[in-house]
Amino acid sequence: MRIVIAEDAAIMRDGLTQTLTRRGHDVIAAVGDAEALKKAIAEHRPDVAIVDVRMPPSHTDEGLRAAKAIHQDFPEVGVLVFSQYIEAHAATELFASAPTGVGYLLKDRVADVSEFIDALTRVAQGGTVLDPEVVRQLLGAGRRQDSLATLTPREKEVLSLIAQGRSNVAIASALFISPKVVEKHVANIFDKLGLAPSDTDNRRVIAAIRYLES
Amino acid sequence: MTPYPERVLQQAYAWMRSHPRVADGVLGLLLFAAGAGQIPAGGPVADVRAISVNVLLAGSVAVRRRNPVAAFCGAVVIVSFQLAFGLGSGSLPGMAPGVTDLAIVILLYTLAAYRPRRVSVTALLVCFAGAVVAIAGYAPLHETDAKAVLLLSFVAVGVTLLGAWVLGDSAAYRKTYYVSLEQRLAAAERTSELETKRARAVDESAARLRRIERDLHDGAQVRLAALAMALGEIKENLAQADTDPGTLKLVGSAHQNAKNTLTELRDLARGIHPPVLDRGLGEALTILAGTSAIPVALTVCIAERPSPAIEAIAYFCTAELLANAAKHSGARSIQVSVKDSESGPLALTVTDDGAGGARVAPRGGLAGLLERVQTVDGQLMVGSPPGGPTTVTIELPRHA
Repeated sequence: MRIVIAEDAAIMRDGLTQTLTRRGHDVIAAVGDAEALKKAIAEHRPDVAIVDVRMPPSHTDEGLRAAKAIHQDFPEVGVLVFSQYIEAHAATELFASAPTGVGYLLKDRVADVSEFIDALTRVAQGGTVLDPEVVRQLLGAGRRQDSLATLTPREKEVLSLIAQGRSNVAIASALFISPKVVEKHVANIFDKLGLAPSDTDNRRVIAAIRYLES
Repeated sequence: MTPYPERVLQQAYAWMRSHPRVADGVLGLLLFAAGAGQIPAGGPVADVRAISVNVLLAGSVAVRRRNPVAAFCGAVVIVSFQLAFGLGSGSLPGMAPGVTDLAIVILLYTLAAYRPRRVSVTALLVCFAGAVVAIAGYAPLHETDAKAVLLLSFVAVGVTLLGAWVLGDSAAYRKTYYVSLEQRLAAAERTSELETKRARAVDESAARLRRIERDLHDGAQVRLAALAMALGEIKENLAQADTDPGTLKLVGSAHQNAKNTLTELRDLARGIHPPVLDRGLGEALTILAGTSAIPVALTVCIAERPSPAIEAIAYFCTAELLANAAKHSGARSIQVSVKDSESGPLALTVTDDGAGGARVAPRGGLAGLLERVQTVDGQLMVGSPPGGPTTVTIELPRHA
């Protein structure tokens, strides 16, 4: 993958660069703020950009805004936003403006290198990645308790994985069940939540998020 | 601008206040001089005695403020001798009062002004008694209109004495009143000074908390994440390289520890200062409402952003109240409203349709909130009848 990194903390920027390079990826540019990020994207057109939410000058949500801008100007570039904190509203904002080729992960996830690179690859390929923490926040919040309460624990597990952008096969292997059983769970979930099942993973994720956030 | 004569008077009074002994000395001298002019030609002996009386009375006036009681008693003794032995300094023999007798009036005033009432009232009674004795003893009874003169004398002396006492007493009253005014003024100044200091302390502490959160974010959290990433990579490399299981396990547990610490550190940092507060109370509360276990209807109507310290208090109070409602109330819905008015406080109201019965108990959650609110002179009111609903209203100034 050809990757651009935007992260203001040098130690994380360098660490990521080295790790990704060792894994055979090409880090074309590693920058420290949103402006430099936009320039690097325009210049290099990478497969994917890793973007920190809090960057100079105001250290609030520069990365989030930059991610949305990038998606508008270069829809083919995947953007993985990562942050010290996970906020459901930020996820909604991000996914509302860019339903494909976008990810939102807690910074801690870099600790599991292979999983992180998997997620990055999914985003680069136009997939969607959502941190389990977002799902936990939304589910834990107990919003829409009425319909969510009707889900079995297993179905909740499956929904959480759906919201992370996993395919049925991936869910099956994660839960050690057969894809057929997953399909049944998914059908049940959409049925209980009043959603028509559709054939692409991305649309399932969006449906799940929109539902959870509505 | 004060008119010129008044200014001169003010300056004279100020000078007399700051030089009481000199002022009293001058008063004594004036009294002596006036009394000396009254001394009749009665031979050298009478002169000496009359002059001595004058000197003593004038002297007692000169020291009146340093020791009012002694001065008064001394004067009373002298005047008694005067009465007993006919040492009247007046031009008429007998009853006519001399100028120096004014000393008694001045000393009575002094007592009333500087000593407690029981002392000054006793002195007043002594004076009355003395006046009765003096007037009765030396009354010109041979004259035809004696009764009228007698009565007039009593009235004149009585009014003079009473007037002196009243003037002195009212001076004392005014003095205590001014002192209490000054104390109140000083207290008010101190309060306002303390309020300013407290506001600064509250703001500084909010800013410091924000800085700590940022330092954690930019420092420890990033380093720890980088460390966890390195450990993760090492773990994966070792797993592929057919390493001894003990080492692999050790690295795995170090990796897990680093990840757990990251989570703990994040929760800690968020508890110190929720980063979302930087984007305003409205947005922070929206997110808070979104994570509530019970559905929240949120109304935010804020025209002007309150200070960060106030925003933080409002945020943490709302978080605590939502958590309380989720834990204890059994409510099905919660309404949160935040409003500010042009000059008034920021009003935060949290209402749930739960079981009610919430109250501010020592060491309870609401008591903690009350404490937090009181650090900025805010108000907290709880209305929670058994059976509900529960309404908690918090009023906060817009600036600490």
